[in-house]
Amino acid sequence: MSGENVKKATPGYHGRYLRIDVSSGSASPVARAVALPADFLRKYLGGSGLGTALLLAEGTATADPLSPAASLAFVFSPLVGSPLTTSAKFAVVGKSPLTERINDSLASSGFALAGKRTGHDALLLTGRAAELSIVVVDDDQVRIEPAGELAGLSTRETERRLRERLGPEFQTATIGPAGERLVRYATISHDGRHAGRGGSGAVLGAKNIKALVVRGTRRVEWADPPQLIALAKALSEKSFGPATAKYRELGTATNLLTFNRLNVLPTRNFQQGSFAGAAAIAPEQLSVARERTRSSCAACTIGCEHLYGVKQGGGSVRLEYENLFALGPLCAVDDPDVVLEASRRCDDLGIDTISAGGTIAFAMECVERGLIDEPWLRFGDGESMLRALDLIGAGEGLGRRLAEGSRRLAREIGQGSIEFAPQVKGLEIPGYDPRGLQTMALGFAVGTRGADHNRSGAYEVDFSDAVDRRSVGPESAVLAVETEDKAALMDSLIFCKFLRGVFVDFFAESAEILRAVTGWDVSAGELRQTAQRIVTAKKRFNIEAGWTPAEDTLPGRMLNESPSDDPRARLTHERLSALVEAYNTARGWTPEGWLPADDMARDAASPGLSLGAAGT
Amino acid sequence: MPISASVMQVDVELFGIPRARAGTSKTTAEGSCLGDVLADLARRFPALAEACIDGRSLRPSYTANLGGRRFVTAPETPLLEGETVLLLSVDAGG
Repeated sequence: MSGENVKKATPGYHGRYLRIDVSSGSASPVARAVALPADFLRKYLGGSGLGTALLLAEGTATADPLSPAASLAFVFSPLVGSPLTTSAKFAVVGKSPLTERINDSLASSGFALAGKRTGHDALLLTGRAAELSIVVVDDDQVRIEPAGELAGLSTRETERRLRERLGPEFQTATIGPAGERLVRYATISHDGRHAGRGGSGAVLGAKNIKALVVRGTRRVEWADPPQLIALAKALSEKSFGPATAKYRELGTATNLLTFNRLNVLPTRNFQQGSFAGAAAIAPEQLSVARERTRSSCAACTIGCEHLYGVKQGGGSVRLEYENLFALGPLCAVDDPDVVLEASRRCDDLGIDTISAGGTIAFAMECVERGLIDEPWLRFGDGESMLRALDLIGAGEGLGRRLAEGSRRLAREIGQGSIEFAPQVKGLEIPGYDPRGLQTMALGFAVGTRGADHNRSGAYEVDFSDAVDRRSVGPESAVLAVETEDKAALMDSLIFCKFLRGVFVDFFAESAEILRAVTGWDVSAGELRQTAQRIVTAKKRFNIEAGWTPAEDTLPGRMLNESPSDDPRARLTHERLSALVEAYNTARGWTPEGWLPADDMARDAASPGLSLGAAGT
Repeated sequence: MPISASVMQVDVELFGIPRARAGTSKTTAEGSCLGDVLADLARRFPALAEACIDGRSLRPSYTANLGGRRFVTAPETPLLEGETVLLLSVDAGG
C-alpha cells in the first residue's frame, strides 16, 4: 500500500484512513487506505465527530456490535502531534454492546501520536480473526499476528509483553481478560489509561483482537507553524493557572467531599446522596497515609493524574473521582485499601469502573430485596465487592450475569428491578445524582451514549447561580445544549476537557487554533455549527440503530424518589419530559427528538467515501 | 450603657483548592453579605486570598454556596445570621 496517489492533504491531516478487515488472517490482511475529502474532514474534524461519520458510512448502526460486521474506529484528530497541550488524544468509536447505541470513548498519550504517524487519520477495524491475534500497523504495513500466548493477560502485562516482543517504539491499545470474555463494559487500555465507557473492549474482543499496535514515521504539515507555536505557548501558560489548579494539585477525586456536602454523591445504589464513610476514602485523607505521585499524559501540561500507593501487592493506582465514587459510596465501601485495590483490579481486567460499580451496587440492592440469591454480596462489604470483580473477570458464577450490565441484569431478574437499575440507555450513571443536579439529569436523559458526564457537561450549569439545581425549569435546556456542543467540539478537535476553564470564548479560540493548524478560514460560528452537526450525527446513528423517544428518560427511582437524605431533591416524570422537549426544540428537532428531513448530518450516512481511493 | 452594633458571624466550609490554601476545612467569618465575608477571609488567610479571592469577590475558578442550597457569586448577596458559606472550585468535572 502506498500513498503516492493521494492529493496533497489538508494541513493537520493525512487525508485518509486505514480500513483493516481482520478476517483475512495473517497471510493477507486486507487493509485499504480510504481517502477523506477535505470538505468531509471540515464537517466532522476528527475524534468523536469523524468517528461517528465513518461508522455511519460503514453501516455499523444496524449491525450487532459483537458481530464481524460491526466496525470499530480508532480516530485521531487534526491537533494530534501539534505542540498544543493535551492534544495527544484519540477516540475509539463503535456501537456499544452495552447500550446498542453510538459509543465514543477517549484516551490519551503515545498511542495517539504513534497512530497518527502511521499516516492515517483513523484506523478502522472490521471482521473477526480466526484466532486471538494482534493487529500491527507499522506505517503503511499492516500485519495480523497470532497472540494466543497473551490470552487471559491483564492490560498491563499485555502491554509489557508486546513492548518486549516488538520494541519500545510501538504503542499499544489492548484489552484485558474482560474484553476477551465480552464483558459488555470492557475497556481498551493504553499506558494505564482507558477508553473506558460503553464496552469498546468487548467489540475488540469479539473480533478476536487482543491489541492494536502502532508505529509510524509520517508527520503532517501545519498551515501556519509560527502562529501555531505562539498559540500553543499561550495555551500552555494558561494551563498552569487557577482554572486547572484543582486537577493539577488535588485531582478529580477531590470532588468526593464537595459532592458529599451537597448531597449529590450517589451512595448505596442511589438510595442516598451522602456517605458517612466519605472522609475515610477522600483523597485528603488518602494522601496522609499513602505515597502519592503525579503523572500526566504525553503532551499535557496539566498533569491531573494522582497515583496512590496500594498496600496489597505494592505498586500504585490512578485514582479518579469516578472510580472512587463507584467502588466506594455507591457500594457503601469505606475501606480505602479496598477501593484502591478494586480500582487496580478493574484496570488490570480492563473494565469500566463506573459500570462495574453500578452493576455491583444494583446487585447488592437486589440481594437485600431477595431478588438475587447470593447472600455474600452486601453493601459495605469490600471483600464481597472484590470477589464480584474477580467473578466478572473470570466469567464465573454471578460474574457472568454482572458482566451484562445493570439493565440486562434487571431485565433478567424482572420484578420491577429495572426501576432501580442505575442506568440510562444501558449505560450506568456516573457520580452525579441527577435529582440534585437536574440540568445534568437532562444531559443524562438525552445523551446519545447514555448517562454520561463526558458528553454533557450540564453539571456546570447546576454548579452555578444560573439555576436552582434541585428544581430546574425548561430554560436550563438551552444551557445543557451549550455544554453538550462544547463537549462535542472538544472531543473532535480533540482537547482534554480539563482545559475548558482556561478558554474565555471556547469556539472563537478553537477557530483561531484550527486556522493555524489547517489553513481553513474557519470561524466561531462555523465551529458551533460543526458541534451541532456532530451531536446530530450521533443522534442519526442512534435512530438508525433503533432509538425511540422512550429511551430519553431516567430510571424510575430518579423520578419517583428523593435521596433519603435530601427530600428537596425531587424530579418527576412530567418535569423531566418538559426538559427533554425543551432540549429537542432547542436543537431544532421535533419535540419528541426525531430529526427533521434536512438535518445537518444527513450527508454523514452517504459521504461518498471511495474505498480504495487512496491506494492500497 | 453604650449600644454597639452586633457583628454578624457565619460559618465557612472550604473544599478542594480553597481548603488547601486556607489550611483548614472550617472557620468562621464576619459579615452580613458574601463580599464582607470574603474580605474578612482574605485578611486572615493570605494564601486563600491570593488564589481564590479578588477584593470582595471570588476569582472566576471558584464559587460559593449557601448551606448546600444555592450557588451565589454576587458580593452583595445578603447572609443570614448563622448561615453556612461553602467555598469550592467551580469546576466539578470528574
